[in-house]
Amino acid sequence: MAGNIYIGEVLENEEVQENCFLMKLRTAPSFDNPVPGQFVMIRIAGLNDPFLSRPISIYSFSRNEIFCTIDLLYRVVGKGTQILAGLIEGSQVEINGPLGNGFDTTSVRKNIVFISGGIGIAPLSMLIESLSSKSEISSSQMIMYPGFQSISAVVGLEKVDRLCSDMNVCTDDGTVGEKGFVTQIFKKDIRQFKPEDTSIFACGPRGMMKALAEVLNKSKFICQVSLEERMACGTGACMGCAVAIKDKEGAMSYKRVCSDGPVFDLNDIIWD
Amino acid sequence: MTVKAKTSPKMAVQIGPLKLKNPVMTASGTFGYGEEYAGYIDLNNLGAIVVKGLSLKPRLGNPPPRIMETTGGMLNAVGLQNVGVDAFIDEKLPFLRKCDVAVIANIYGETYDDYKKVAQRLSAAKGVHALEVNISCPNVKNGGLSFGADPKIAAKVTSIVKNETSLPVIVKLTPNVTDITSIALAVEKAGADAVSLINTLTGMSVDLKTRRPHLKNITGGLSGPAIKPVALRMVWQVVQKVSVPVIGIGGIMTAEDALEFLIVGAKAVQIGTANFVNPRATMEILAGIKDYLIDSKIKDVNELIGTFQP
Repeated sequence: MAGNIYIGEVLENEEVQENCFLMKLRTAPSFDNPVPGQFVMIRIAGLNDPFLSRPISIYSFSRNEIFCTIDLLYRVVGKGTQILAGLIEGSQVEINGPLGNGFDTTSVRKNIVFISGGIGIAPLSMLIESLSSKSEISSSQMIMYPGFQSISAVVGLEKVDRLCSDMNVCTDDGTVGEKGFVTQIFKKDIRQFKPEDTSIFACGPRGMMKALAEVLNKSKFICQVSLEERMACGTGACMGCAVAIKDKEGAMSYKRVCSDGPVFDLNDIIWD
Repeated sequence: MTVKAKTSPKMAVQIGPLKLKNPVMTASGTFGYGEEYAGYIDLNNLGAIVVKGLSLKPRLGNPPPRIMETTGGMLNAVGLQNVGVDAFIDEKLPFLRKCDVAVIANIYGETYDDYKKVAQRLSAAKGVHALEVNISCPNVKNGGLSFGADPKIAAKVTSIVKNETSLPVIVKLTPNVTDITSIALAVEKAGADAVSLINTLTGMSVDLKTRRPHLKNITGGLSGPAIKPVALRMVWQVVQKVSVPVIGIGGIMTAEDALEFLIVGAKAVQIGTANFVNPRATMEILAGIKDYLIDSKIKDVNELIGTFQP
């Protein structure tokens, strides 16, 4: 699953929600099949401002004999994503990927719970799509907790809505779904799940992940989370995207979100 | 009439006692331990690989956030996170030994004794072809002021490392000094086989929302194309003062950038931050240098080096 550099052609780049874009890229058939949770580094070749590539998780992927299609669902948060949002059909970008370690789905359990905050739904949507095609999980049920700030920020529900048996949309301001933070909504339901037959997957802003760690604190739930951090290289060389992780003996070290992650066991993350 | 096939120019350069296949090397801290880039390029085509800075003991590095993009570059305050010299020899060097490429170990310490011990261990390990001494780090005994900021201290580190090794010793200079040529002259006198410059320029950046620094460490090292003119100026100044080979580093993104450094007199160049945005940058730069030599009808890269016309 080694990354490499590919030229991508923009097939579509639509604003699907305020400040959220869906970019469809066509690239060479030699692009490796990504695992849900993996990401790509995107850059406009030769541009020095913004200078660095932008890490964006893969939302969807498909291939035929002639080309691969990579879908990226991203939110405009700064200069880099602003410029990406301005790309029109036919533009070219450099794609480095697929990168990082995706979600581990080798031993998913009876209840599969997904918790997302905002655009964090993107890698989970790909995970849900991938799990739904696996025969070994046919007896499992998929339960989704997608949280957003407001109705105007709701994005990425198309596939998950169809594939999850239980959808618990919530917003911070109550404009759609239940009112409250997604971690609070999940906390109300947590007794429905037993740690031994539940797998949890989460992705969202740092504050949400930290709150989730508190909700799951000292429980035996296993929760895989996909983290986000500023990155320079995406390949493990620059050591820029550090996250504090504790090992089995409890000793702290800095791991690289790009190449040791982006998926980590929530229990191992040290929050400051 | 026959059209002669273009012959490939000679690319080998000599860095003191060290012979390189070509003048394109990687810069320490931007290329991991080589393995990270093996999927993107053929490492054997590099002039040399300079590995991430090695300390005596493994180092945790600084707390995040560690990097911030700036106009035409980036700031980093990684804090020299590395596996330590022993783990490098046991876990990373075996891979590099299998490659047909010069391996240069970048070393650093917080005390003179650290430098001495790291140099000793690497000299005893097979597969290291030269040492590059990072003197930009803070000297614990000297109030944290960098070893590279004082000619006497820089010279002392150089002679300590020289005494411990028979490997060629390259001293990597910091630009955060009043007169880089005085440091270059001091380390040359102390026995350095070559100097490489520049390391990053100290900088900072402020978040307007929080009015806090973007980096947890507050300040960081600026790298990328933004620093190239400064680096080029310093390389040119040093080339005029020292007789040992000079390796040019700083914001090289393209073959044109690298050629500027060669023309002002750098015997070789190191490619750093460019690797982050384009993992194939070294190979594109190497190909571009060859093309330039062919177009200019220069048969040997050494005929170009130092041909600057001020």
